[in-house]
Amino acid sequence: MKSKTLFELIWIVAVLIILTYAAVANLSYLSTQQQNIANPAGGDPPGVLINVTGYQWAWQFTYNNGTVMTDKLVLVANTTYTIVVTSKDVIHDLYIPQFGVQVYAVAGHPNKVSFTPNKPGTYIMECVEYCGEFHYEMRGEVVVLS
Amino acid sequence: MNFSFELAIFGSTIAVLIIMGFLLYFFVQDYRKSLLSKEMETAPKEQANAYLSRIRRELSFSAFIMDDSKSIGIRYLITSLAFFFIAGLAGVGMRISLWYPNPSYLTPIQYNILLTEHGTLMLYGWATGSILGLGYYLLPSLLKIKKDSLGVLNSIMYWFFAVGGLLLIFSKSTASWYFYYPLTDQLTQAGGGQFSFAALIGVLFILTATCVASIIFLKMIFLDRDEKIRISSMSLFVWSIVATAILIISSAPISMIADGMVIYDLINPIYFTGANSTALGYAIMFWFWGHPIVYVAVIPAFGLIYELLPKYVGKPVYSYSSGVIALLLLMIFSGTVWGHHLFNSGLGTLWDMIFSTTSFIVAIPSAITVFNWIATIWSGKVKLTLPMMFILNAIVDFIIGGVTGVMQSDVGVNALIHGTYWVTAHFHFILLGVTTGMAFAAIYVLFPTFTGGRRYNSAMGKLHFYLTAGGTYVMTIPWALGGFEGMPRRVAGYFGIFQSYQDAAAIGGVILGIGQLIFLINFVYSAYKPVTISNDNILEEASS
Ligand code: HEM
Ligand code: HEM
Ligand SMILES: [Cu+2]
Ligand SMILES: [Cu+2]
Repeated sequence: MKSKTLFELIWIVAVLIILTYAAVANLSYLSTQQQNIANPAGGDPPGVLINVTGYQWAWQFTYNNGTVMTDKLVLVANTTYTIVVTSKDVIHDLYIPQFGVQVYAVAGHPNKVSFTPNKPGTYIMECVEYCGEFHYEMRGEVVVLS
Repeated sequence: MNFSFELAIFGSTIAVLIIMGFLLYFFVQDYRKSLLSKEMETAPKEQANAYLSRIRRELSFSAFIMDDSKSIGIRYLITSLAFFFIAGLAGVGMRISLWYPNPSYLTPIQYNILLTEHGTLMLYGWATGSILGLGYYLLPSLLKIKKDSLGVLNSIMYWFFAVGGLLLIFSKSTASWYFYYPLTDQLTQAGGGQFSFAALIGVLFILTATCVASIIFLKMIFLDRDEKIRISSMSLFVWSIVATAILIISSAPISMIADGMVIYDLINPIYFTGANSTALGYAIMFWFWGHPIVYVAVIPAFGLIYELLPKYVGKPVYSYSSGVIALLLLMIFSGTVWGHHLFNSGLGTLWDMIFSTTSFIVAIPSAITVFNWIATIWSGKVKLTLPMMFILNAIVDFIIGGVTGVMQSDVGVNALIHGTYWVTAHFHFILLGVTTGMAFAAIYVLFPTFTGGRRYNSAMGKLHFYLTAGGTYVMTIPWALGGFEGMPRRVAGYFGIFQSYQDAAAIGGVILGIGQLIFLINFVYSAYKPVTISNDNILEEASS
């Protein structure tokens, strides 16, 4: 009986500490790194701007100088980029796992997110919002040049 | 007039069908009379039905014509099990097809049809259906109800449920269980499927049945129960149904309205396009119900654990009042967290903060519940029967599922794992381990009653348990690991780098499938053995 009460106390305190820690870490991340998570586009985004359009079933990247690329994104290491993402048809979701970048592509609701790649190399990129027959082929590569 | 051979065949077929209908009706009336006691034969239907709902009842297809609560429960149980097997077949089929990185024996369209059928049938057909079935079946005995009215309404609602399930199967929709706008309104095979609106109508049918059943459960609990059972001493399973029913009634209608709007948008797109609204409007309305349904799937399973655990450890639940409070808190908080499914959609930082914090809070009542179980087990001595094995596994799976859930509620982490198999792993731990596991535990406990005094083969039962529990881990752990590296979900093919995870999970899926076949064989085989034991069970207690 004694040890059970002790266990109960430890359980309550441990759960509360873990959850409070998680909540505080999350809130401080959100309030300081806002630009690194998906948000409605607008304002004055930092870094180089790239416009992204998703459609069934490919990604189109438009650079400021007018270059257009499909299913391939070329970046330069240690440069900050802001992507503004939207869709021509259904909802898509651009995801670059190695960068922890993820943002929905919704027609009429452009979203933005900023990131700074720091290691040169080739990475994967995929659509992770189910969008019809060839959803699985809506993927490509991200090349980071040094 | 000429003699028409076709007309004669047609006419006699109709005549035979009518005669068969009559015979069936009288056969069932006879069965019903044989169940009723002497003084009940002349009683009004309300009381006769209440009597029928309180006695021990076998599984019988007569239930499809009788309309007392227990018969309705039997209908739901039989139907939801059928949906489980169909959806399970779809799941195993998808798993096997993913053995190779490129679509193998399933084309992308076939894969997407199975994906949609699996998700919708499992959640709406099996999880919801089995809960309605257990509710209708167990509540009358647990509450010793005095009258059982509204049988006709219950019966009609059951048919809504059954037809809804059939629509989900035969519509061949490829819109996935979200039915997001505008994909659902693309009526092509490459989009949502030619008949995706029929699947939406199926969902609407099932949700209508679910809402009506919830109201009837609340009526049974608060108006029709025996006065000797006070609210403060109702069993915890009853409390879990209270929480579930309120959760359903307060959130499903929003999603039903959204479904209706999507159907209307097919004819005249005004709701989710245009100047003032986007496709996200549908997503928000959908998740307002889409999150609660996962708790609807799990709270009654908690109730079953609370109900069965004391019987296998020989001690009452550690704390009844904190059990009730935790269930009600789960009900309240799970209505406030739906935004955690849309973190990366551009709701805005403030909303992300709110929904991630509420998601951390919802873990508190979950932790209270788990503690309550551990403390109950601690105080007694465990009798390791087959249902108890399912319970212990459910507790472990819920802890894993809860921890992965809290992890993905962190907005930074969510950007890493949203849309990957990590999420699929998170919910299969709970939906397989807790929802499905506890439904099976209840079926095993009720088996002697269902079959009128037969015993299931316990070696085969244990094998079913080990294959189900083991298969769950073999399937979901590779999913979770792959998901953390970015393995996307809902895809018919994938990057070659993920193949080892996909193959390991395919083996797990096959193990799971074999396990369920063993359950089916055991059930049918044991149901025809001679009667050896009493038809009582520990879930309904000894009552009349
Ligand atoms: C401690 C409690 C829980 C928390 C904090 C939690 C959190 C989450 C989060 C944040 C997501 C969204 C993941 C994403 O798509 O990015 C999610 C998805 C999901 N959760 Fe949980 N969860 C919890 C418990 C449960 C329970 C008890 C169930 C019941 C079976 C469940 C079933 C699901 C399902 C089915 C999905 C995915 C739906 C879909 O996208 O198809 N979760 N959960
Ligand atoms: C019989 C064992 C099972 C197997 C082999 C299985 C297999 C699968 C597979 C392979 C997927 C992923 C499809 C994809 O993302 O591409 C999936 C998704 C899913 N499963 Fe299961 N599953 C099983 C049991 C269950 C149960 C018991 C439930 C619920 C009660 C369930 C609910 C779901 C849901 C809601 C999804 C998401 C569908 C979607 O993304 O639209 N599964 N399952
Ligand atoms: Cu896409
Ligand atoms: Cu949720």
